[in-house]
Amino acid sequence: MLLEVRDLHVEFHTRDGVAKAVNGVSYGVDAGETLAVLGESGSGKSVTAQTVMGILDVPPGRITSGEILFEGRDLLKLKEEERRKVRGAEMAMIFQDALSSLNPVLTVGAQLAEMFTVHRGMSRKDAQAKAVELMDRVRIPAARERVKQYPHQFSGGMRQRIMIAMAMALEPKLIIADEPTTALDVTVQAQVMDLLAELQRELNMGLILITHDLGVVADVADKIAVMYAGRIVETAPVHDIYKAPAHPYTRGLLDSIPRLDQKGQELYAIKGLPPNLTRIPPGCAFHPRCPMAQDVCRTDVPPLYEVTESDAERGSACHFWRECLHG
Amino acid sequence: MAEPILEVRGLVKHYPLTSGILFKKQVGAVKAVDGVDFDLARGETLGIVGESGCGKSTVAKMLVNLERPTAGEIRYKGEDITRLSGRALKTVRRNIQMVFQDPYTSLNPRMTVGDIIGEAYDIHPEAAPKGDRRGRVRDLLDVVGLNPEYINRYPHQFSGGQRQRIGIARGLALRPEIIVADEPVSALDVSVQAQVINLMGRLQSEFDLSYIFIAHDLSIVRHISDRVGVMYLGRIVETGRDAEIYDHPTHPYTQALLSAVPVPDPEAREHRERIILAGDVPSPTNIPSGCRFRTRCWKARERCALEVPALAVPAEFRSVSGPAAHDSACHFAEEMRVVPPEDAGPPAPPAPPGSRGSHGPRSARGPHGAHREDGGGA
Amino acid sequence: MPEQEPYEPERAIAGTGMGGTMDLGTSEAVTLEQPPGPDGADPREKPRSLWSDAWHDLRRNPVFIISALVILFLVVISLWPSLIASGNPLKCDLAKAQEGSQPGHPFGFNGQGCDVYTRTVYGARTSVAVGILATLGVAVLGSVLGGLAGFFGGGGDAVLSRITDIFFAIPVVLGGLVLLSVITSNTIWPVIGFIVLLGWPQISRIARGSVITAKQNDYVQAARALGASNSRLLLRHIAPNAIAPVIVVATIALGTYISLEATLSFLGVGLKPPSVSWGIDISSAAPYVRNAPHALLWPSGALALTVLAFIMLGDAVRDALDPKLR
Repeated sequence: MLLEVRDLHVEFHTRDGVAKAVNGVSYGVDAGETLAVLGESGSGKSVTAQTVMGILDVPPGRITSGEILFEGRDLLKLKEEERRKVRGAEMAMIFQDALSSLNPVLTVGAQLAEMFTVHRGMSRKDAQAKAVELMDRVRIPAARERVKQYPHQFSGGMRQRIMIAMAMALEPKLIIADEPTTALDVTVQAQVMDLLAELQRELNMGLILITHDLGVVADVADKIAVMYAGRIVETAPVHDIYKAPAHPYTRGLLDSIPRLDQKGQELYAIKGLPPNLTRIPPGCAFHPRCPMAQDVCRTDVPPLYEVTESDAERGSACHFWRECLHG
Repeated sequence: MAEPILEVRGLVKHYPLTSGILFKKQVGAVKAVDGVDFDLARGETLGIVGESGCGKSTVAKMLVNLERPTAGEIRYKGEDITRLSGRALKTVRRNIQMVFQDPYTSLNPRMTVGDIIGEAYDIHPEAAPKGDRRGRVRDLLDVVGLNPEYINRYPHQFSGGQRQRIGIARGLALRPEIIVADEPVSALDVSVQAQVINLMGRLQSEFDLSYIFIAHDLSIVRHISDRVGVMYLGRIVETGRDAEIYDHPTHPYTQALLSAVPVPDPEAREHRERIILAGDVPSPTNIPSGCRFRTRCWKARERCALEVPALAVPAEFRSVSGPAAHDSACHFAEEMRVVPPEDAGPPAPPAPPGSRGSHGPRSARGPHGAHREDGGGA
Repeated sequence: MPEQEPYEPERAIAGTGMGGTMDLGTSEAVTLEQPPGPDGADPREKPRSLWSDAWHDLRRNPVFIISALVILFLVVISLWPSLIASGNPLKCDLAKAQEGSQPGHPFGFNGQGCDVYTRTVYGARTSVAVGILATLGVAVLGSVLGGLAGFFGGGGDAVLSRITDIFFAIPVVLGGLVLLSVITSNTIWPVIGFIVLLGWPQISRIARGSVITAKQNDYVQAARALGASNSRLLLRHIAPNAIAPVIVVATIALGTYISLEATLSFLGVGLKPPSVSWGIDISSAAPYVRNAPHALLWPSGALALTVLAFIMLGDAVRDALDPKLR
């Protein structure tokens, strides 16, 4: 396993109390594999990623327990100095908003070249040549000229390509992409997602794709982890989950999206709203919104049950996963 | 089509680009909207889709008179409303209201929910007798599915979906006939989107509303719209009933747009044909000659650079009647099915407005049957 | 179809939406939303506006409490100086000139033999009056002009912007020396007038910027779409949302206006004896600083404390109103 997160807990101290953002998340990703972490806002999917990356703001955040094993080393036990060496060189992150992630007063070439001068100790000339090469690789036309331009002179899709180039620069083993295409138009989304998948294959990297978009997940992911209120509620290979979800939340999400190929008058809607993270309901966090909830759901937190009826490795944090699977 | 309640003809909005500090000289124009025509019938939903910068939001603003068109007409019940002012404008405004995209910036944080929704009655005192206003606001909260007791709360005490409901209640306060909704659900979470879309569908029949529904999400637009217009660089390039556009698109841009939509079905990954367009949308200050899509079009030929294609039923389809015979602004229009029909069943038949479409196999299943009865049954 | 109410079961919950903004990044993570609880009635939640939120923060901020107490004390002694000082600030006895602390005269006497304690207490009135009145004048003039320019834009805005640039170019002390030296009236009004004249461009710039920002919000567009008049847009929607930065800057500026009055009085163009002002006292004590440092120390200490209190108050108010922190 390239990266393995084990029983991670993260909380935030807010004006209204302690918000439990991540409550025992475990997931893993192999080299060359794409794990999609799916969840709505407040599910803890980005906080988990920021913790893995080591860019969580502490305080207000606090990692209360857990392990993050990267090639067997627990990143949480490393000194900040060592951690910084891992960041960028071994694992890199792509953010949703490329414009605010790039420095507006430096040319994109300078920002790309910096990766090589700082981490690889290259001369400025070599680094500049590398920058052009990278921009070619992410298919930015006229890279030699555009390397001298500033971020605002690029379109949204082009900026996201530059972000990808920057993440790929040192050929890391793991890429975390946090909603990489959410801010882009659909036609550009497809281009960027294809590029990302292609580079991943080429470099045999692990990819953690954080998204709320079930469509994007279906297009690129190998396996999927669905998060709700800071917990993973279901994990499965991507084909299985779309065919037969084993958790009512996943099922509700799949049913609530309008589809391109059909027109219905009423969509299924999950009732209610996600819980406030300072006051997560007892038992299964989803029970107030769940159509299948029984008494046991209000009292007992469901563990991530192994879904034994499947050939693939699947898990569901629902006491009634069987009923849900066959429902 | 029934008598249109709204007719838009040759709508244009150019923002001048000037240079010079003291003596301003016009050096060009941002052609945000560059000749748009459409009709809206009573009780109908017209979806307008397009990518960012295509001018769809500017069209929305002109419809509710937040922007003055550079040229063209917007006729509400036969009367051009673009040059109105004063009392006449105010009357028209009562009948055309807007729902905004961002539920966080569209509600005044210093006002209570009651004041936000009730402001409509302060501005139009004739719409509700004075003593009756709080009661009406409570009714509106109830109609959009919020607890009327929340009337004294401030917007920041609500979640995104609830705020959007408040925005919808404000839009409904004056009992308008037309609601222009500009990306009303794109800022919301997936499970909440469904709630708000269902609400809008329910309100449409309850209040006999006509919608202009603007969005970049093609699936949502299909779900809610009776007819759809696809915009590119300030123009509508293809328009027709929802099934005509989604199942029988003839314009290459529509085809590319549809094929790019990620489909929540991993099985579709392999046998789906994807059209990936090259490059970016050109700048609206410098629109390509002839067909504005030609710079990204795989079919472009010399004719496309010389002749602007008209938005009409293309010649090759004029003789046939069928779903492919709808308006498409392309010299080389050609039908192509991009959205595969759902594997387990026939594609949903085009539903006439007011009737209910059939549900695919997915919707028929699951523990949610009871819920679905409310929507799909009866 | 209304009877087919898919929402009926949810009515009691009245809930849709996102639980928090956790995923938008850690900076927002501290501002978790407070959707009403699942039972619809959150016991902790009363309707609270952003102002009452700010007040909630301020009450817990020690910087605010200390500076507010100092300011409250200053205001009380400016209104009723005799509460703590029984003497007459103008009754001086040259025989006691430069004498140090003694019973009944804790701060000693200045070069003219006046009681330093009494004069320091009475000096507060001038400082507080000039500070508050000048700030009010600056804030009203600046925010009205800046607000209108920001809202309407166009030619008027361009002219106003150039005028503010011109005012920014005037050196404050030099301007004071020139303008105030021709005025003979020995009241606080010329000083206030001068401060307002030079101070409004600063507020006007801030008001203009914050009106332009507020104007672009969708809720202003929404009100416009309802048919709201310009005055309603300005008063109801823009002003309440644009006023916070003006208040913050004005509070901080208040401290600097007090020190500006002292500076002008020190230079002899502000208030002149027999008026009582810290600036006059500092000026008159300066030549004897070696022999009678206390005569300089007490009025300048009072001045420094007052200015500091207002600036700290401004800081605390800014922290409470800054939307980025909430």
